[in-house]
Amino acid sequence: MKKIEVSLGTVRDVIGDFYEYKKWHFLTINGLALAENKMEVQWIFSKYEALDESVVYFAQIAYTDVIPSIVDLIPSAIISQRELVDMFGVQVEGSEKGLYLDEDSLQSPLSGCSI
Amino acid sequence: MFDLKKYRKKSPWILHYNAGSCNGCDIEILACLAPKYDLERFGVINTGNPKQSDIFLVTGPVTYRSRERLVELYTQMPEPKVVIAVGSCSCTGGVFRDMVNVEDGVDRYIPVDVYVAGCATSPELIIDGVVKALEILEQKTKEMEKPLKLFREATLQNSIVNRRHTALKVGEKDEED
Amino acid sequence: MKQTINIPLGSQHIALLEPVRFKFECENEKIIGVDSDVGFVHRGIERACTTKFKFDSIGYVVARVCGLCAITHSLSYTVAIEKLLGGEISKKAKYLRILLLELDRIHSHMLCLSHTCENAGFEAMFMRIMGDRELVMEIQELLTGNRVQFDYISIGGVNRDLSSTVALKIKENLYEVKQKVLGYMDEFTHNWSLSLKFKGIGALSLDDAYIFNAIGPLARASGLNIDVRNEIDYLPFNEVGFLMQTHSDGDINARNLVRLNEILNSILMCENIINGLPEGEIFTKIKGKPKGEAIVRFEAPRGELMYYVKGNGTAMLDRVRIKTPTFSSIPAFSHIFVGQDYADAPAILASFDPCLSCTAK
Repeated sequence: MKKIEVSLGTVRDVIGDFYEYKKWHFLTINGLALAENKMEVQWIFSKYEALDESVVYFAQIAYTDVIPSIVDLIPSAIISQRELVDMFGVQVEGSEKGLYLDEDSLQSPLSGCSI
Repeated sequence: MFDLKKYRKKSPWILHYNAGSCNGCDIEILACLAPKYDLERFGVINTGNPKQSDIFLVTGPVTYRSRERLVELYTQMPEPKVVIAVGSCSCTGGVFRDMVNVEDGVDRYIPVDVYVAGCATSPELIIDGVVKALEILEQKTKEMEKPLKLFREATLQNSIVNRRHTALKVGEKDEED
Repeated sequence: MKQTINIPLGSQHIALLEPVRFKFECENEKIIGVDSDVGFVHRGIERACTTKFKFDSIGYVVARVCGLCAITHSLSYTVAIEKLLGGEISKKAKYLRILLLELDRIHSHMLCLSHTCENAGFEAMFMRIMGDRELVMEIQELLTGNRVQFDYISIGGVNRDLSSTVALKIKENLYEVKQKVLGYMDEFTHNWSLSLKFKGIGALSLDDAYIFNAIGPLARASGLNIDVRNEIDYLPFNEVGFLMQTHSDGDINARNLVRLNEILNSILMCENIINGLPEGEIFTKIKGKPKGEAIVRFEAPRGELMYYVKGNGTAMLDRVRIKTPTFSSIPAFSHIFVGQDYADAPAILASFDPCLSCTAK
């Protein structure tokens, strides 16, 4: 597992340069609650037909930041982004709430629960 | 003459709804309808239409989004009807009890007649549950068919004339007599 | 003027085992747009894993994410914890884990095949396959003690040994299943009414499979070489005769054939395991508290399953991220539906083998 830090401003360019659709397999977008009202967003990729080779791009952000969407680069990211919005209550460009949660359920259940 | 109540017992139709289960019990229900366990030898058939069903098999703890559907399916079924809660999580919430999006068991929303335990429950238990449900179904049918007789005066409840409370089933003894 | 009709499918429907709602936007018979609602089964397991349960019991909780691939869930979680704790399990335990993983794959694929047949209107085939599936369920019960939720895997090994009588029974039943599956191969390739329902319908091209990151039998039916069993070394899949099964057509028929071939390959693997099971203990005690982060991938019957586990040195974990196969296939599903006839929708949906309780967690 190779971890590379990116910032929210550059993440689209970095992933755009890195992602070759016949070489890398997009796994998912993962969120991770950190201390001091911060969270970590991870974009996880793995290589086709290689032995356990995965690359993780991560950015540490505040909950108020708007995460840029990568759907135009990787169409299958749309569902992960919707989950991220639901689970952490952050904003992702072009993704709306309501994949899993109803109006009266506990909103953004994973944000800050591990602090 | 076509006698519906006779055939209802011989051929009850099942409606199955997954209210948030892990699929374990659902595939066991499917296995029940398949050749080895063959619930269909009791005349049971799995139908997708609530308006034609007599037995309601519910699996899973009730999740927030499936609450409405569960109650709606229940109300759409004609009387008499029997509800079977299949699996530990539909009986009490099971391993999902107190999780954030779960409502701990079917009986918070609809009345349950038969509880089938087990995680995941086994086809033998489901068959036992359905056979038990058939007895309850017959009993409920009889209850329904008893005519009501109005004994007492009509009462005024919330400024609505109500005779329902004063009605007694034939054969029941009026306590005040 | 263009007029479209919206047809809902679900959340409760005879063709669906699980609650999911699709809204198909149709122009005459053709589907031109799909909207899906997959959140009916969301229970909040990821949160409960970090707030309610200690790390040594989560293996049994995550098994309840999905009843069909329960073994893959608990296996992935357990391997992630073993990675963090740095323990090594015995070779025999590894082999027994593969054995159950492959038995689970056989019964799951058989369920999917029978369900596809049912939704194509071939009820007799559904009954046949479901009847034969009981042979596998029987040996699963003998091996683990339960038919569906096995709870067979624990941190450090497995919970039950394989006795010689059970091994014999497994071999007998698997031989029988093999003969039956060879019979299905014939039906699925040559039966006229099945080919009419399956061939050329719901196709996904190789390029689209790459673009939409398709996984599992869906991707392999389009010719994409992705099978996590080929890409990991936690368990010795290559030693027991794993071979990737692919097809190039990408339609429902191709998916069925990939699944049938995988069943045959899994049977071969199980037989190899039983014939060459190494001696040794089935359980090694592993001590410690997990610290650090690990990504573990496994091939569930429906495709790639990923666990991300982060521990902080205490009994409660920081994060358990479950990425399930159906979840990441939803964009591909929606893409396939567009341009198909509405009448084929249930059969196409069944051929994906969707698992919604996985998806919503």
